Amino acid sequence: MSEESAQAPKHLHLALSFLVAVSAWAVPGLGHLLLRRWGRAAVYFLGVSAFAILGLALRGHVFSPKVSDAFELLGFLSNAGAGAFYVAAQFLVSAAPDVSRAAGDYGTRFFAAAGVLNLLCVLDALNIASGRKE
Amino acid sequence: MRLTHFQAMLIFALVISVTFAFLSKQSPRDRLKYAIWSFLAFLLIAIGIAWIMFPFPR
Repeated sequence: MSEESAQAPKHLHLALSFLVAVSAWAVPGLGHLLLRRWGRAAVYFLGVSAFAILGLALRGHVFSPKVSDAFELLGFLSNAGAGAFYVAAQFLVSAAPDVSRAAGDYGTRFFAAAGVLNLLCVLDALNIASGRKE
Repeated sequence: MRLTHFQAMLIFALVISVTFAFLSKQSPRDRLKYAIWSFLAFLLIAIGIAWIMFPFPR
């Protein structure tokens, strides 16, 4: 009985950490919002969305899940890290990428940076949810 | 939308500096110090590398 009661909070804790991680990935800053870290949530949302919107405005290349080599796989993983912005870029943005200009190339890097930055924020949210960080 | 190389670098440096300050520091004072230091380091290193590359043609 005592083991059961000790196990229950652990499972709950794991489920909550998972929920926080998925939320933080899906919408930048949402994980921190659930953890009541208002300032961090705002900064991470603004940072990731600034990069993602700038990347799309500069007509950067957004990698699709259909990858043919290691470079495209890395590109897809970094882009997918942006969560909702990646889904929006895949299905809502109709302008074709233009990487023939330096601006388009910057756009590709900005969007990839948005995804990687969001993944760092997911790790931060997980650390807070698991109690390893304040 | 058009951005110069320098403008793109400034935006990148600013966003990364502020976000990393929040990721790695706890107190507001430490975050401010870290963000300013990181932003200036981005700026100085980029300008330094640009000057080193200047004599070399494309």
